[in-house]
Amino acid sequence: MLLAVLSVCCENESVAGSFSETAERHFQTDRKLILAEAVRPPSNSGEIEEDFFNEDLDFLEEEAEEETVQVADPLKPWNRAMFHFNDKFYFWVLKPVTQGYRFVIPEDIRVGVKNFFNNLAAPIRVANSLLQGKWGGAWAEFSRFFINSTVGVLGLADPASTSFPQMEPSEEDLGQTLGSYGIDNGVYIVWPFLGLSTLRDTVGWVGDGFLRPTFYIRPTEAALAIRAYQTVNATSFRIGDYEDFKEAAIEPYEAFRDAYLRHRKTLVEE
Amino acid sequence: MDTFFKPVIVAMVMVWIGTASPASGKEPLDELKQPIDKVIEILRDPLYRDEAKKKLQREKIWDVIRTHFDFLEISKRSLARNWLVFTPKERKEFTEVFGDFLGEIYIDKLQGEFQDEKVVYVGQEMVSDSKALVKTTVIRKTAEIPMNYSMLKNNDGWKIYDVNIEGVSLVQNYRTQFNQTLSKESPAQLIERLRNKNQP
Repeated sequence: MLLAVLSVCCENESVAGSFSETAERHFQTDRKLILAEAVRPPSNSGEIEEDFFNEDLDFLEEEAEEETVQVADPLKPWNRAMFHFNDKFYFWVLKPVTQGYRFVIPEDIRVGVKNFFNNLAAPIRVANSLLQGKWGGAWAEFSRFFINSTVGVLGLADPASTSFPQMEPSEEDLGQTLGSYGIDNGVYIVWPFLGLSTLRDTVGWVGDGFLRPTFYIRPTEAALAIRAYQTVNATSFRIGDYEDFKEAAIEPYEAFRDAYLRHRKTLVEE
Repeated sequence: MDTFFKPVIVAMVMVWIGTASPASGKEPLDELKQPIDKVIEILRDPLYRDEAKKKLQREKIWDVIRTHFDFLEISKRSLARNWLVFTPKERKEFTEVFGDFLGEIYIDKLQGEFQDEKVVYVGQEMVSDSKALVKTTVIRKTAEIPMNYSMLKNNDGWKIYDVNIEGVSLVQNYRTQFNQTLSKESPAQLIERLRNKNQP
């Protein structure tokens, strides 16, 4: 009779994806567990410390609030495919190209290039600091832009950071601005080449694009080439990071999604 | 858009600098500081510069670290409701294998990427009598990474049960992953997967 009950429970067990479904499954599995324990021989339970019998999950309540960072992922099939695509793109194209580039170009020059592009993006940070009412941040970004564009020779050097360390860069973008206005992420989206995003952050990224000088370069092929070069240069400083984070993951797709969403949430709250 | 990786990873690496030895009625911050300093000392020690000594260095670091993490608490919180699906025997196995997994991954990176980082202790917040949040910042040449340790007091003193780097919590990140795995696989299969990762 017990066996019959067990098998019924097992059949009910759904391959659930969403959180609520999973929770329901646990309820069923719980009962299954209790039943299973009842039929199981006493086994070697004597060797197992008491701690492992403890079923107290009170801590879940205090953390329930934090779960709200979950963002809808209705595009999951597309997103997973794009995540996979980007992964292959990284290992087959971006990484080998970047390794060659890093081998040929000295670090000092690569740092200069990074500074140059970073300086070009200053208008985005100034505008978004202003939009969020962060006057200090806007002023710091404006001053840094002014100093680095002149003394720093078109932004190739970053004298502002060494001479005025108190003027911290204020990494704001339109996605964060929209978030600070109370606009939700919408849905999670993975874009080919561009990477992880959400509907809100994508809108922000497009909006910020109008403040990016490279946006106005014609023909479009030239703009894309510059963008590609910028990506290779930036990647040359962080080869290995992607590999490491992926290596530390059991479910890479979920690991990256969670890290992206929580990190963005923190940035919005700042 | 992917610029968030770097700090997150660097910091996850640095997590393991943040850990080591004896306990008493001390403040959580002190109990965190001591092991961190100890691990940095081992990483800097020229004695281990030789490739052949890396394994010894690894064991030394692991000895310092392991007693300062509450792996049982980390496992419970990472599995959350799934903990109830595991039998006591599976819970014990999981706790051991997940602890080893975290250790393997991060000591690897500490040994590979340590660049004379400095750790600044920003302060501690008592959440309750037995819970505290210790805030630190890891200073690198090109970046400052905020890193917060959640600590829980047990009979041996304050133990780390979560690490939060720029808003990304170690426990919550693995919880999302384990939820996914356990929606299609059994606890035994998850344990097996972790074990396989440990022995490449």
